[in-house]
Amino acid sequence: MSTIDPGMESLMEAFIYESTTLLEQLDEIMLESEKEKNISQDNINEIFRIMHTIKGSAAMMGFTGISTLAHAVEDMFFLIREDPERLNMVSDAIFDLVFQSSDFFKQEIESIQGDDFQDTAATELIAQLKEQAAIMKGEAAAPAAGEAAAPAAAAPSPAVSANPNLKHIRVFFDDGCQMENLRAFALLNHIKDSCSLLYSDPENPESNPASSDEIVKNGLLISCEPAEDVTIDEILKMVESSLNIKTYHLEEPAVQEVQAPPPPQPSAASAPAAAPAAAAAPPAPAAPAAASSGSNNKAASAKQSLLSVNQSKLDHLMDLVGELVTAESIVASNPDLRGLKLDNFTKSIRELRKLTDELQDVVMSIRMVPLNGTFQKMNRIVRDMSKKLGRPAELVTVGGETEVDKTINDAIADPFMHMIRNSMDHAIEPPEERRAKGKPESGTITMSAKNVGGEIVVEIKDDGQGLNKDILLNKARQKGLLYKPESEYSDKEIYHLIMLPGFSTNEAVTEYSGRGVGMDVVRKNVEKVGGTISIDSQKDVGTTFTIKIPLTLAIVDGMEISVGGSAMTIPITSIKQSFKLWSSDQILHNSDGSEMMMIRGECYPIIRLHSYFGIESEVTDLTEGILLQVESGNNIACLFADELLGEQQVVVKPFPHFLSKYNLKEHGLSGCTILGNGNISLILDVRSILNSNER
Amino acid sequence: MSQHVSKHHDPDSPQVSKPDDLSSRYMTFLIGETIYGISLLHVIEIVNVQHIAEVPNTPAHVKGMINLRGKVIPVLDIRLKMYKDERAYDDKTCIIVITIHDMNIGLIVDSVSEVVTADSSTLATPPKTGMEDAQFLCSIIEQDHKVILNINIEKFLQDDLMGL
Repeated sequence: MSTIDPGMESLMEAFIYESTTLLEQLDEIMLESEKEKNISQDNINEIFRIMHTIKGSAAMMGFTGISTLAHAVEDMFFLIREDPERLNMVSDAIFDLVFQSSDFFKQEIESIQGDDFQDTAATELIAQLKEQAAIMKGEAAAPAAGEAAAPAAAAPSPAVSANPNLKHIRVFFDDGCQMENLRAFALLNHIKDSCSLLYSDPENPESNPASSDEIVKNGLLISCEPAEDVTIDEILKMVESSLNIKTYHLEEPAVQEVQAPPPPQPSAASAPAAAPAAAAAPPAPAAPAAASSGSNNKAASAKQSLLSVNQSKLDHLMDLVGELVTAESIVASNPDLRGLKLDNFTKSIRELRKLTDELQDVVMSIRMVPLNGTFQKMNRIVRDMSKKLGRPAELVTVGGETEVDKTINDAIADPFMHMIRNSMDHAIEPPEERRAKGKPESGTITMSAKNVGGEIVVEIKDDGQGLNKDILLNKARQKGLLYKPESEYSDKEIYHLIMLPGFSTNEAVTEYSGRGVGMDVVRKNVEKVGGTISIDSQKDVGTTFTIKIPLTLAIVDGMEISVGGSAMTIPITSIKQSFKLWSSDQILHNSDGSEMMMIRGECYPIIRLHSYFGIESEVTDLTEGILLQVESGNNIACLFADELLGEQQVVVKPFPHFLSKYNLKEHGLSGCTILGNGNISLILDVRSILNSNER
Repeated sequence: MSQHVSKHHDPDSPQVSKPDDLSSRYMTFLIGETIYGISLLHVIEIVNVQHIAEVPNTPAHVKGMINLRGKVIPVLDIRLKMYKDERAYDDKTCIIVITIHDMNIGLIVDSVSEVVTADSSTLATPPKTGMEDAQFLCSIIEQDHKVILNINIEKFLQDDLMGL
């Protein structure tokens, strides 16, 4: 952050946080609006407000690139806000431009956080925005001028620059002639054919009887551009010849705005603003202003109960609570207390435990974030890709309110994105093909999340062409990834081939997927946070990826076991059952020396933990120790340990950095923990033990 | 059970040359009959041997991890690191907790003796030999008829720190 004064660090943080939140909001609004093919008045105001805020704070921080682009977007929405009708002229382009701008902002904000920030200017984007603004303005400068005193005239909008051909005629009707609004309508109708552009203030008088009062007070302002071969004099004559006209006059453009809150910009001075009309604040443009300030208030009051906290502080808090849980069990099971009868002490300890449990729950819940944010990002990807690839598709999200630990949420965003890209790129067929198959032309990708007993199950389901088993097998054969005869592969195993490193079925590398990283990276990332992926697919019906991720990484319920002199912890969620063998007859010996056993008609391998980890142990007879049947994904095996020590809630600690070079994760250990007696226990990574056993 | 030596000292900060300058002071310890010294700049504290949790799939000299007031730190056996025979730990055996590259590491030594201050008159450069021992020595102190071999801890742990 060489360009940034260290004193601004905290301001910086606030800026980044605020902008990121606003941009997420912007994306959400735009996606929703695009779906409806219309931007509602509220949303226009909201976008305007977002851009205004970003512009202001970026300018304050000195990020010219961001602030100029925000300014350009703001200008555009200023135009739209004045006359939502204009949206129709440019709508598609606008959505793309706003998305591109939002991407630019995000990129910039990301690079600000990095070390090598350079203020870049989005020249091209700005030019495009200006172009769109010009399209809107070119045909519709009049109301912009007429309503220049509309909300937030603070923005020096190009809208107020005048269309020189526009003439303004102010008409007053005879006193007491009644139904001024309808008379105004008749007049407008009368001259309509002679004008290429025609606006009035108040707008649409015929539909709003209340505008009569205004017309009586301020007269009717007609802004028109005479059609070719019609002069303004002819139009004036037509006005004159109409019934009940008291006076009319041609207004000069150089009238100052009366009500604009800040002093008008120099460009506004030359704008053909209509002073009396502006002063009276016509009801139509005033309404959105009120609405926007109203919604601002609402947002502000909702925000007051929220507090943004640095994540490292929460991590620290979590650590401390972990320590506290450990310390408590050190006190409660202190060897000095052994054999003593301490009724009051036990009671107090129970009270303490209740409190620490509660504290732990609260701290955990603080770290929980809903998956909505991540799902939202996927919406954007589907939208962009479906446009680019010309394959209409829709993302349906279910259960976005499901919460996961922040760390996990961060870790799975990338894998999800990759899978959605894959689905769009490889699974969803082009519309013609879909039609031929009798499917709706628009593809559907469904992302659903639900909470299933300590785990979050996320399903990513598409209704595309499904995985082709023959192609997968062929490919795997070519790459030498098969390790048993092809006929022995089950469907599931074939599907899972795509998650092997070095496997990518698409020959052509596209912009979105197939960049050398593939499903194996997805799997790695998911497994890093203790999750699993399984795949199911049906030809021409679709593919479903099921991802199971733990709710939280920090504290797990573990079963303590001993192997040799070492204490180990197996996460309880992966244990199916534990049992003792009553006779060595139950063990089946394979020809390669490995052992197996039958449980309820199924055969499972036995993994001796002492030999797996190379630990010397006195218990080597399978009937003496204990067997734990464990499961990870689709693998099930029995682990052999010396004895069970009991169940305990443990705080997962990573291995010291010093040991990271030994790649313990690949060797069946996911971390360590400190037990109640102060000893360290190794936490087993059941998945990697089972995987390495399989190979 | 633990003696704090220089808890709040940052070994990376430039040292102003003072009489009690830490960089000229060495913590000495015994491995067998030999006295070794390491710069006090690295030393955080000395603790007695406690329960060490073994970590599978690591070299022999990486004995495992200890719980130091809630922190999990790795411990290395200096004897094994020096390719000497293993020796059962007794009540004199100590763990010197050092800091290096922002990590805390425990070094298991036969016993800790004292802190010595070296001045230029007592310091000598080690002989250049191809010997295993000599490669990580940075200087030699001769004092009161004793010879102290000062270890350059960075070089000593070079293999372990590589790739981190």
